[in-house]
Amino acid sequence: MKRSKLIGGSLIAILIVLAYVMPYTVFSDVNAWYGSFLWWSLTALAVITITFFMTRDWSR
Amino acid sequence: MNTTMVWAGMAIFFVFSFLTAMLSRQGKASSMDAYFLGNRKLNGFVSALSYSSTTYSAFMMVGLAGLTYTGGVGAFGFEIVYFIGVTLILIFGPRFWLVGKKFGYITPSEMIGDRYQSKLSASVISLVSCLFLIPYSAVQLTGVGYLLSGITNQAIPFMAGVVIATFVAILFSLIAGIRSVVWTDSLQALVMIVSSTVVVLLVVSKLGGFGAFFQDLQSNHPEKLSVPGNGYFNIYTFINLTVPWFFFSISNPQVSQRLFMPSSKKAMRQMLLGFLIFGFIYTLVSVMWGYSALIKFPNLEKPDLATPMLLSSDLVPSVLGLIVMIGILAAAISTIDSILLTLSSLFSRDIYGYMKKDTDDRQQLRVGKIVIPIIAVLAFVFATLELDLIAVLSVASSAGLIVSVPSIIGAFFWKRGTSAGTTASVIVGAAVVLFMQFTGIAPLKFGAGVWGLTVSAVVFIVVSLFTEPPKEKAHAFMDELREKLREKS
Repeated sequence: MKRSKLIGGSLIAILIVLAYVMPYTVFSDVNAWYGSFLWWSLTALAVITITFFMTRDWSR
Repeated sequence: MNTTMVWAGMAIFFVFSFLTAMLSRQGKASSMDAYFLGNRKLNGFVSALSYSSTTYSAFMMVGLAGLTYTGGVGAFGFEIVYFIGVTLILIFGPRFWLVGKKFGYITPSEMIGDRYQSKLSASVISLVSCLFLIPYSAVQLTGVGYLLSGITNQAIPFMAGVVIATFVAILFSLIAGIRSVVWTDSLQALVMIVSSTVVVLLVVSKLGGFGAFFQDLQSNHPEKLSVPGNGYFNIYTFINLTVPWFFFSISNPQVSQRLFMPSSKKAMRQMLLGFLIFGFIYTLVSVMWGYSALIKFPNLEKPDLATPMLLSSDLVPSVLGLIVMIGILAAAISTIDSILLTLSSLFSRDIYGYMKKDTDDRQQLRVGKIVIPIIAVLAFVFATLELDLIAVLSVASSAGLIVSVPSIIGAFFWKRGTSAGTTASVIVGAAVVLFMQFTGIAPLKFGAGVWGLTVSAVVFIVVSLFTEPPKEKAHAFMDELREKLREKS
């Protein structure tokens, strides 16, 4: 497997775990938009960005 | 809302959709490949829009908004976990696409059946898909019925809404098969995203802009901005909801079949990225919509009323309300017509093709076309019965379809997987899901999806280890495919 694919795949795996862990621990008492709402929004944006880079060679 | 306006709005929408469907009828679609897969020549743009509107049903602006109203930000997290699950296409997209082209697969279950060298496995997976997806379509139809009757104060009866939705879904599927479905889906996706985004931006600005919006939530509903918050989204509920949906992109045949259709890997990339952008916006919009209802109407008895209440409130000008209603209608119909087409291909290819030996492509296509209205009428009958059973099966749909995931993963990553393992895992897994849904039991607080996946994975592995795997196809799906993927990148 190419190194970039391995890094991208690992990042997504970490994001999946953190999508469960962070809101139920660190942000469980943050009752504001900059808590879980922001975390999950940033997760989604990170997923789009990683997918963009991981599929760059699909264009060829 | 004024009934004449609702009729007029729907008429305009259907005329445009109908014209789009007719325009898509270029050339003959006389083979299964052409009718159900568009000759595997779909471009990235329509693939992305159609994938989006097929995935996102009336659930988003009604159900997800209601879920946000009740449980707060956890509803957003639930959709985001599903959203991350779509990246499974990074692994499975090119694989489905390559083997689909090489072996000429029409349906995902045909692919699994051929990989394990068993038409019985393909039939069983197809039957399980029908079992869970027909009730799911029925609930979409009832959604349209309730939406139209609710918004016009019963001037348009529930039954009229259900009949209209059934008829339109049949029409869009039959006119030109997948071509009319993807083109009408694309139009509907645009209506969905534009109307909902505009209305949410307007509502938020009328409620004082984003700053005041979140300030209001923080002051009056702080528990709706964190999890577990008011307790609705405790970690078990969150896991039970998210696990089945995480695998949606490979477990639901109406979307996984789309992986056979793009004209190239570049088109598949556009489909995936386009969908992710669409999905992120639509999710945000639906959640903000639920929050708006919470701010404006904090004491609703039924959360499902959030959308009709907001649409008929003074926050939304009636023309815009009408467009949003059509957007929700579009979301429901674009999901149903795709499911109809996929189920008809599953039936004609994997069930009819298995029961009646030596059928050719033309015969299967003929059966497929006949089956489309039959499946739609079945969904219609379910919708009008309003049985609890239908609701249970519909809720169970994502959990029920997850039972084919171990065999799908095994097809590409485990040479020891066998047909006996596949068939047993799907049957036992589906039985576990149904039993848990009907009895309501949840061992260790985990729901039907989690147990369905666990049990089917264990059965798949254990039974496979005791039976003989098909070596040649395993080689084609793994070693040869890996070579090919390496060449391409």
